[in-house]
Order: sequence, then structure tokens, then C-alpha cells
Amino acid sequence: MNKVTTVNLNGNAYQLEESGYDALRDYLDHAARQLDGNPDRDEIITDIEQAVAEKFRAALGAFKTVVSAREVEKIIQEMGPVQDATAGNGEAGATGSGPHDATTPGGGPGAAAAATGPGTAKRLYKINEGAMISGVCNGLAAYFHVDVTIVRVLFTLLTFIWGAGLLVYFLMAFIVPTASTPGEKAAAQGGPATAQEFIHRAKAGYYEGMKTFHDKQAHREWKRRFKREMRGWKYNFQREMSDSAHQWQQNWSHHWGQHPRYFVGLGFTLFILKMVKLLCFGFGAYAVYSLVTTGAVFGVALPAGIPVWIGVVFLIVLYHFLTWPLKAMLHSYYYTGTPPYGACRAVAGPLDGLVWLGFIVVLVWLGDHYVPQVHEALQQLPPAIHQAVADLKQWWARQ
Amino acid sequence: MGINEKFIPIRKGLLEFLLLKIIDANQVYVADILQELSGTEFATQEGTLYPLLSKMRREELVDYVWKESEAGPPRKYYSLTVKGREQLRETSDYWQKISGTVKTLGQK
Repeated sequence: MNKVTTVNLNGNAYQLEESGYDALRDYLDHAARQLDGNPDRDEIITDIEQAVAEKFRAALGAFKTVVSAREVEKIIQEMGPVQDATAGNGEAGATGSGPHDATTPGGGPGAAAAATGPGTAKRLYKINEGAMISGVCNGLAAYFHVDVTIVRVLFTLLTFIWGAGLLVYFLMAFIVPTASTPGEKAAAQGGPATAQEFIHRAKAGYYEGMKTFHDKQAHREWKRRFKREMRGWKYNFQREMSDSAHQWQQNWSHHWGQHPRYFVGLGFTLFILKMVKLLCFGFGAYAVYSLVTTGAVFGVALPAGIPVWIGVVFLIVLYHFLTWPLKAMLHSYYYTGTPPYGACRAVAGPLDGLVWLGFIVVLVWLGDHYVPQVHEALQQLPPAIHQAVADLKQWWARQ
Repeated sequence: MGINEKFIPIRKGLLEFLLLKIIDANQVYVADILQELSGTEFATQEGTLYPLLSKMRREELVDYVWKESEAGPPRKYYSLTVKGREQLRETSDYWQKISGTVKTLGQK
């Protein structure tokens, strides 16, 4: 039993199995990318949709209302990869992936399979067509066979972590070559390879090694070595990671652990620092929010032509940059666990908590008294909480 | 590299010429063209044909009219323009010359 999706091809509805739908969408997306810059792109896509629809009709009958995933695959192979007739006319034939395979007239499944067979190895390239900045995300999306939006969102999210995404992005923008010739473009899009393909290839390499040995003893030896090598690699990697993490930690505590000393009111200082940080975070979040909803931050509009997401990334980087000293200060308080201060920290913790609690109580009280909305909201809280608030008020009044 | 792969660029280059010939003989739609080419060395697929036809239309070599079909939505039927016929004549002449050269070269 398979899930079915309905698609609209040129005004007619067709029901496809879901995996067939995915394949068809990939095919059409790929076609659109190939035809990017062609003035007739939309018309060609419409023609192709029409042709697909015609083939669907041929596959359906009175008692068959759903096109199976296998039929969709077959139809896509019959259609063949869409190639722009105008761009790179001379070189396109040289890729060797042309569908004109005379040995299989009519371009049967064999022709398309040969076009995307193991002959065309997949490589990572930047793809400029439909790119937003330099095509890194586009290339990655093609390489791992996922939607480009997902890659972009991932990069944006990574940027939140100390700008890691941004760093990786710029490094890749410099290092990864751009796919410019049709051959490179074909390699960038690759065959049916996915991330799965990698594991597959690693395994294939392993078995390839296996094949070169004939007696059992050597077989076993190879297997053992392969496993050990993999394990060794993993172990080395882990050790390196933990070593460098340790190193960083040491550097950090060495550098910041010198001068901080417990003093009366450490809890208070920490509290103020935390408040400032919270405030900064609030400002940052609000700035992003207002940028996304209104396109302006505190009345400053984004310059025309710059997409919103660049603004968001810029804000995030700015936020990290501005709050960095604050974070460093906070860290310096947290990482002073050396013996003389250890005891003091035991006191500082609860003290800190008390200060926090006091602050929240004061905040609620102020809100209740001076902000009608807060007062109303408090009134509408469930009775139990309401009771608690009343108790608190009474207690406060007694003081 | 087999003879088949070696001739990929040549077959690709000749496809436009063949389309001109097919369209000149009859008013056809894409499935007719594919049908006619299938079984020859020039068998091709929609993915190649549509972009090529749209390029030829942009160069005003071919034009199309919508025609109702017995089953399904209307289809695009292609025919040659004056310019297209002119191009066909020129290409045919040139092809005659090339194949003559290929035949006679090296013979004593």
C-alpha cells in the first residue's frame, strides 16, 4: 500500500504514488535549472509537462487510476534529461551523456541509464544557476540530493553558533571550484548518487580490496586491517577533538582564571551581567523579528536589493560581536573553580538565586501596579495562582 | 571510445537539419518526430527535442499552430517558415557538398 499524491499537469489532475511524485518533481526542477536563462524556459517546461501528462494518460485505464512510482521512473527515462539547446551547444555533446544512443533506438530505459550511469562520477562544485551568493548551497544541495532551501536554512542556523556557518560558507566559497563547463555541471548534478552512495562506495572499496586476495588467510588479514584502520581513524579523531577542547579550556581558565576573586556581591554582579545579556538578547531577537516582519530595524530600512536573509545573518553576526565581551566576562566568573574560591561559589550560587527570585517578585509587583495589561493578565490567571499572588501581596503589605 | 560515442557531437549537430527535413515533409507534432527518428541512429527524447524546437522557433525557422486532438488536450503542430525552408535548402546543399567530399577524398 502506497500513499498517493495528486498533481496538476497543464490543467489535468493525475494521481501518482508519492515516491513517483518526488521523482517527477526532481526531474522538472532539474529541467528548470538546466534551462535557466533561456527565454522560453516556461514554455519548454509546459511542453514537457504536457508530454509527461500524455504518457500518464497512456499508462492509465478505466480500472487503473494511479500512476505507479515505477511507471513514473520509466516515463522520466523515456523523456530523457532536458538539455538547453542554446547554451554550450558545442560542448554539450562532449559530456557523453547525450541521449542519442543509437544502440537503443527510441531512447529506452537503457539510454537514460547509460547517461547517468557510474561513468559520470559526482563531484562537489559551486553551481551558479539560481544561486543567491556564490552557489555553494546550490552545489551542496545537488551533491547530497536535497532541497536547496534546507541547505540554506542549515547554514543560517549554523551561523547562530559563533558564526560557524558563515565561516564554513566563506571557506567553501573560496575552495570549492565553480562548475562552468557542461561536463563539470553534469558532474555537479551527478547521477543517482546520494549521501548513501558514499557509504556504498567506501564499502565497494573494501570489497574491491577483498577481491585481490585469494586465500582465506589473506582475506582475514585484510578484513582485520581494514577494521583496525577505521577504528584507528575514529579513535584519532576523537582524541584530537578532546585534546583540542581540553587545550581551549585550559587556555581559557588560564587567561581568565587569574584575576577574578570572590567578593561580596558576586551574585549581584553576575545578576547584572546576566540582565544586560538578557536585554541584549531581547534587543537582538526583536531586531530580527522586526526585520523579518517589516523589513526595517529600529526605523532603519534594509538597502534596496539586499535580501532579508542577508540582513538577518548580519544582525546575528553583529549580535555575537557586540555581546562577546559580555560573554567573556560571564565565563570568567563561571570558570574560577580553583580551591580558594570553591567555597565562595557554594555561597554565591544560592545568593544568586535569591537575587533572581527577588528581582522577579519586584518585576511582577511593579507590573501589577503600573501596567494595566499586566494587572489584567494576572487577574485572569487560574485561581490557584491568583491566590498565590494575593498571598504574596498580603505578605508584601505586611512588610 | 566506440564509434557511437565519437559521433555524438555530429549527430547532435545534424539533428536540427533532420528536424527541418521532417517538418518540411509534413505538419507534425513532437510525438510524430520522435516516432520518425526512433529506429534511426538519431533516436532522441523529449528532453532534447523541446528545447531544440523552441530555439528553432526563436530563430524563426519553424512555427506552430494549436490543433485539437481526438484524445486529450490540443497539440502543437510544427511547420517551416519561409526562413526555415531557405535554411533547409542551404543546409541540404552544404550536406551534399560534405558527403561528396567524404566520398571522393583519398580516392585515386
